[in-house]
Amino acid sequence: MSELALAVYAAETASHLLELPRTARFAAFRASFDEGAYRQQLAEAGLRWVARSDPGFPPQLRAIHDPPPGLFVRGEADLSLLTRPSAAIVGARACSAYGAAVATALACELASAGVVVVSGLARGVDAAAHRGALDAGLTVAVLGCGIDRDYPRAHAQLASRIALDGLILSEYAPGVEPMPWRFPARNRIVAGLARVTIVVEARERSGALITADLALDEGREVMVVPGEITSHLSHGTNALLRLGATPVTSAADVLEALGVVAAPPTPPPALEPRLAAVHAAVVDAPAVVDDLIRRTGLGAGHVAAALAELELAGLVVQSAGLYRGVMA
Amino acid sequence: MLARTVTHALVGLEPRRVEVEAHLQRGIPSFAIVGLADRACQEAKHRVRSGIASAELDWPTTRITVNLAPAGLRKEGSAFDLPIALAVLAASDQLPADALEGHAAFGELALDGRLRPVAGALVAAEGARRAGLTRLVCPVESAPEVALAGVEPVAAHHLAEAVAYLRGERDPPPPLPPDEADEAAVGTAPDLADVRGQERARRALEIGAAGGHNLLLVGPPGIGKTMLARRLPGILPPLDDDAALEVTRIHSVAGVLAAGAGLVRVPPFRAPHHTASAAAIVGGGPGPRPGEASLAHRGVLYLDELPEFPRPVLEALREPLEDGVVSISRVGGRALFPARFQLIGTMNLCPCGARGDPGAVCVCTPQRIERYRERLSRALLDRFDLVLAIPRPRGEELAGTSSESSADVRVRVLLAREQLALRTMPMADDASTLLTTAVERLSLSARGRARTARVARTIASLAGDDGVGVEHVTEALSYRPPAELTA
Repeated sequence: MSELALAVYAAETASHLLELPRTARFAAFRASFDEGAYRQQLAEAGLRWVARSDPGFPPQLRAIHDPPPGLFVRGEADLSLLTRPSAAIVGARACSAYGAAVATALACELASAGVVVVSGLARGVDAAAHRGALDAGLTVAVLGCGIDRDYPRAHAQLASRIALDGLILSEYAPGVEPMPWRFPARNRIVAGLARVTIVVEARERSGALITADLALDEGREVMVVPGEITSHLSHGTNALLRLGATPVTSAADVLEALGVVAAPPTPPPALEPRLAAVHAAVVDAPAVVDDLIRRTGLGAGHVAAALAELELAGLVVQSAGLYRGVMA
Repeated sequence: MLARTVTHALVGLEPRRVEVEAHLQRGIPSFAIVGLADRACQEAKHRVRSGIASAELDWPTTRITVNLAPAGLRKEGSAFDLPIALAVLAASDQLPADALEGHAAFGELALDGRLRPVAGALVAAEGARRAGLTRLVCPVESAPEVALAGVEPVAAHHLAEAVAYLRGERDPPPPLPPDEADEAAVGTAPDLADVRGQERARRALEIGAAGGHNLLLVGPPGIGKTMLARRLPGILPPLDDDAALEVTRIHSVAGVLAAGAGLVRVPPFRAPHHTASAAAIVGGGPGPRPGEASLAHRGVLYLDELPEFPRPVLEALREPLEDGVVSISRVGGRALFPARFQLIGTMNLCPCGARGDPGAVCVCTPQRIERYRERLSRALLDRFDLVLAIPRPRGEELAGTSSESSADVRVRVLLAREQLALRTMPMADDASTLLTTAVERLSLSARGRARTARVARTIASLAGDDGVGVEHVTEALSYRPPAELTA
């Protein structure tokens, strides 16, 4: 029952500790640490603590070679959801619209098949994955800072949506500042929680590649979404593919790797003719509205209306004026 | 040895009656102007003395005191030259005693006695009309403005001409017929037919013109955002009489009216640079003067590279965007300038401008992009009913055929405006349901919902429909700010 003291001591000394240090300083700290009162404080803040030795601690994470002393937890959901089939979706923070769209669609389909999507609440691919998973169910975020911090701040709203049905986890006690070195450490938890790690977009030296390496070290499967060979954002992912990572061409590939039987795909609802023409034109190739006006021969107003309706139906995504069809 | 002329000083857009009294008395020859006259006004001494001499009139060698009453009102500028000269001439019996009855005067004197136009003649003439004066002695260039106010201009090229008229030696020159070139002026505005392709942007411009919506164009540099914006005035309906007079008044005070031009019938287009100060944009100065926002009244204010404008300038624009008026308070009082303009802003998706451009790679860090976007407050972004992401057009599009002209589009805009003014345009139930779904799915704010409903109403009126239907709401939704700006 000393893990909580260890985690709090690590927070106060701004260090990363996995084992009880044999120092007089820690001994003194431990003697003065009132675990009951601390747990009380956590409960008042709506947080929980699961020690590595607790039976509720996710067994997959305990199996990695450097598991954290325990996890601080935000969110009401039961920790047993972490024993369900899980996939980590990670990638570049400065991702492209394609990367964001793929991460969203993939996460949405995996979540609706009952897979727990794990990511790091960072900008870009991480956030897109969380959003996609939330559309279909729940998701799990792992922070690289104190559990009470919303980092990045822009994702505060996203974090509270995640905490509603899913979980936010961190090995760091409340109050721990985000530091550059904590994020690679966070990535080992992301990789450790997931049975499969999917890299969506990554530059040559990307944090997502660290996650992939950590997953490989633990013998977990790494899957990669292929990207354009001319894009910087594909250099990291394509390098993984060359090394033998499994390419992801649809959510079914991931479900197969996880051994999850997907619900039979519901045939897409037949579109009204006025939408169908525009949809067919978008699915051909990503396009701006003016392209679609030319391809379909319809008026500007008509195309804009159809696109907005397709967007609402989740059949089309838009970024900076460029529309693309969603992966079927 | 006392004579009086009447002129009007400008306080904001309001004329204030100023009596110019000239008093001659025996003593050492001297010339003093009293009555809170500023520097330019004090220098009138030299211009008036030279001007009178150049007109082959006599400069009285007595002690001359000119008083600008009321003495408590600050007098600025050079428009007092002519009234001062006339008062001095009347006081020295070079003009008949009753010659100035019923006349006001307004204008600057050159050293050779010619009359030069001064900004604000229209407002001064309106003051004269309100004061019951029927004629205004003014430079020839100001005559059309004076005539607009319903006062008969006594237009003169030279002080000698004005004096000859006041002595009854010659008739005033017949007033020039004001330019009836209104329609021609509309024709000279840049035409939409010059824009190749860009169907979506054209459509947004048309909706903006019909509903008077503010428009934000988002996209990489060099794709014709400015070209499109410049074509908005050409598809707006010409200004009606009241609006035209209002706009002409502001332009007169600011001195941007073309010499000899009549009423401003074409909606103005103003494009201040982002280095302009807040005072230059919303108005200001010791004797408040209208800024670009007021010069764009009833027209278009175009702010290129919106995030490059200093934040205080952008925030200062919120008042006119909300109320259509700029109020400037000074110790001496408050000036109100109308400023009901349609705002067109442009911005990039990121500081380097490469985002949204398939042919370029953006090198901006997320932090830098965030800082760039934070320069636009939510409150300001909410003022844009139409937000349009314009990606870089392809070559095929640039080679496309020319398209519809501004005149054709303006016909539809006029019809839509009439319909918007006459009908309530209720929203159909299924359209309303769709809007509610969209608000949830796209997490629109309450303002976003109202904005979409407003645009949908305009789209319906352009289609000539009686009510707002599903297709109008969905099209309106396509003009919401892209997620890149709101996230």
